[in-house]
Amino acid sequence: MKGETVGEAVLVMADDDTVATALEDLEGGREIPTDPPLTVAETIEFGHKVALVDHEAGETVRKYGEPIGEATDPIERGEWVHTHNCESARGRGDRAGADAGDGLSEADQT
Amino acid sequence: MDTFSGYRRPDGRVGVRNYVAVLPVSVSASPVASAVADDAGAWARATPHQMGTSQPEAGRERTRTVLAGIGRNPNVGAALVVALGTEDLDSEALADDIAASGKPVETLSVREAGGTRAARERGVDRLDALYDEIRDQPREDADASELVFAVECGGSDATSGIAANPAVGAAADALVEAGGAVCLSETPEFIGAEHVLAERCVDEETRERLLDRVDRREQLADLMGTDLRGAQPSPGNQAGGLTTIEEKSLGAVAKAGTTPVREVVDYGEAIPVGGGLTVMDSPGYDVESVVGKVAGGAQVAAFTTGRGSTTGNPIAPVIKVTGNPRTAERMASNMDVDVSGVLTGESIPAAGERVAATLLSVADGARTAAENRRLEEFAINERQPVELAEEP
Amino acid sequence: MSGDRPSTVPTAAGDSGGQSSEPVDRGVGVRDRVLVLPSVICSRAVADRIADRVPGAVSAPHDHGCGQIAADAAQTRRAFLGIGTNPNVAGTVVVGLGCESIQSDDVAAALAERDVPVREVAIQDAGGTDACVEAGVEAAEDLRAADPPADPDLSDLTVGIVSGDLTDSTRGVADPLVGAFVDDLVDAGGRAVVAGSERVAAHPDAAAESAASEEVADSLRAVADRQRDRPARATRVSAAADEVDFTVATRAWGSGPLGDVLDYGERATEPGVSVVDAPSRFAEAATGLVAAGAQVVVHVTGEGVPTGHPVAPVLKVSADRETLAAVGDDIDVDATAATVDDLTEAVAAVAGGRPTRAQDHGLTSTAITRVGPSM
Repeated sequence: MKGETVGEAVLVMADDDTVATALEDLEGGREIPTDPPLTVAETIEFGHKVALVDHEAGETVRKYGEPIGEATDPIERGEWVHTHNCESARGRGDRAGADAGDGLSEADQT
Repeated sequence: MDTFSGYRRPDGRVGVRNYVAVLPVSVSASPVASAVADDAGAWARATPHQMGTSQPEAGRERTRTVLAGIGRNPNVGAALVVALGTEDLDSEALADDIAASGKPVETLSVREAGGTRAARERGVDRLDALYDEIRDQPREDADASELVFAVECGGSDATSGIAANPAVGAAADALVEAGGAVCLSETPEFIGAEHVLAERCVDEETRERLLDRVDRREQLADLMGTDLRGAQPSPGNQAGGLTTIEEKSLGAVAKAGTTPVREVVDYGEAIPVGGGLTVMDSPGYDVESVVGKVAGGAQVAAFTTGRGSTTGNPIAPVIKVTGNPRTAERMASNMDVDVSGVLTGESIPAAGERVAATLLSVADGARTAAENRRLEEFAINERQPVELAEEP
Repeated sequence: MSGDRPSTVPTAAGDSGGQSSEPVDRGVGVRDRVLVLPSVICSRAVADRIADRVPGAVSAPHDHGCGQIAADAAQTRRAFLGIGTNPNVAGTVVVGLGCESIQSDDVAAALAERDVPVREVAIQDAGGTDACVEAGVEAAEDLRAADPPADPDLSDLTVGIVSGDLTDSTRGVADPLVGAFVDDLVDAGGRAVVAGSERVAAHPDAAAESAASEEVADSLRAVADRQRDRPARATRVSAAADEVDFTVATRAWGSGPLGDVLDYGERATEPGVSVVDAPSRFAEAATGLVAAGAQVVVHVTGEGVPTGHPVAPVLKVSADRETLAAVGDDIDVDATAATVDDLTEAVAAVAGGRPTRAQDHGLTSTAITRVGPSM
């Protein structure tokens, strides 16, 4: 497949990616033989992402060589990256609705 | 990729199935349409939906386009248009439109038949007569270039972008190389990856149309005053490791392969046969999206799934491809192609060849898992008042 | 499959689907069915197959449940909860796929909080559609009702009213007949829930004047506001409602004040007449009325729409002579010949167990009103 498997544990899709995808359930404490080696900080399930580098809040998260979102909080190398600390920059009608009139009344919000 | 054998229709197109389509023009006619199709036989395929007897014009036009497209799909050998008899949508005109392609078409009006019971009896008679006209049609040789291959993803997870979509993309490339057509839709699932597709558009006009459609879809979230989460990515996508729409999209576009984007069509519009890769503007909502492509003329669909979508379509066989080894095992009875080996070393070209081989054998008549179980979900993407209010 | 079940689509902050999930007094059922409710279109075939296998079970297949956000997702979820809470439902088996926007275990949990007997199965949990059908059959058999339906008085009834058109015969004959019935029903202590909010949108001031209170008047205006500058879902009815006054457009709602306004999917709690924010499209309106708690639905149909609803018996009333001649078999009450007492007797008989014409042919729909586009 495209991308590179590391230690049969994670898949890195492109060179400048800041996250890798777990190819199996990873326990906290597991060492991944990246360069330099990476210690998984917490349980990360199959298919979920581990941070390859530290991210500051607001920093772009990259996978497939492209931006896939922004860190909402600081993320340390080895941590699980998902909806709790990474959010989309696109389709943000919640941001648009705040200033533009969205045509919906209060009642529609329930 | 070479040849298959299919049903040649009067308009020259080739179908991979030989159905009589039962097309209700409204929600009020849908239960009758389903009932007569059930009564008549497995060769009768109804397309029930929830569009009202009276819709705003743009909505009605959408309904008409989709039903006409389904009727014209080459998997359909004959059609019965079913109406309550009081709908705004002109069922006779719809029948004529489909009949213009050369196939036999009849209409059934519940009102004219004299009520539900009478309509069911009359409907079965009409279906039997229609099927008599096409049942003995033999399959004949056809070139792979006559296939329009719909590619779809649903219940995606992290394996979709890594294994299943690239495998389907390899098969898509092979078909395009053989002179065929591939159709990619699910516009919200280009958000974050649209530049990847835009770069491959054959000309500026196509590129602008593509970006315009993506922009409009993204603005639908603005219209609802919220973000896309929960719909894009869905709860299942998120449980499966997909965090954002960007991540999902970058994985999703892989299923279209690597060839140039030649055309961008609207929901339910005709996909050019032999036209390489076409993009159809549709929601990401799976059932509506597949229906749009079948209305556009796709005879077969490949549908990648990580979490395990089980849906099919009444008119076109839907091939389920999964790159998730757990899903491949647990839901083997609903899956067709297991490409999870890609995660442990199978090459994407090899997996793609297996998808391509399945495509051809299904075209020849091999039944998919969804077909074996008569899983035939159908829904029309309705143009909602809130969308229509925004239009000039 | 790894991981816990995903959580349902986030709607607006604090949203629980528009109505709290607390134990409710569901009232008296006039039918006693196990409901097999798919939470998404992808599980509707499984739901149908489960219901086919279990005597007394019905399924409520629809085209929604995924690709929806915000108010649109909230409304569909409310409709699910409302249908599942209807007193004609002995218990509900919620059937999901597993990855959809409106999660089946979330819907099941909300129904359980309302003291509805409930089970939940999902295709991805079960390991495929075949396994899910088996699991669903077992679950539905668990719920099979023991109590026979009661023989309710009018005062026990919530009757749903939907008039599907504003043709001459409907306006002149059928709606007034049904409206007179509603007046009698309310006098007897029963409740009416009525659909057709495009009529409110056509005449917001007159609607507000018919309100029983300022609060209800405000709610009616809000209903009208939401539809302003947008094409109506029930296009023909909306155009016709513009041409007549509010009283004529809403004769089927009776002559009394409008006592409450319900969001689509919300359950009625007030006596008298409550307006459900549903369009005059029969299949969608019937679901809204059922969700509001209607044990029986009265459908005025000039067109002769024959469809029933899986959860509540639907009485078809028509005054259109051509329709009565053409599709008379599908119509329960000929409004050109019936008196109010006749209609009342018919409703009572249906409530007591007599099948309607729609139940005779057995064709039903479960459509849900959308308020936003699929994503």
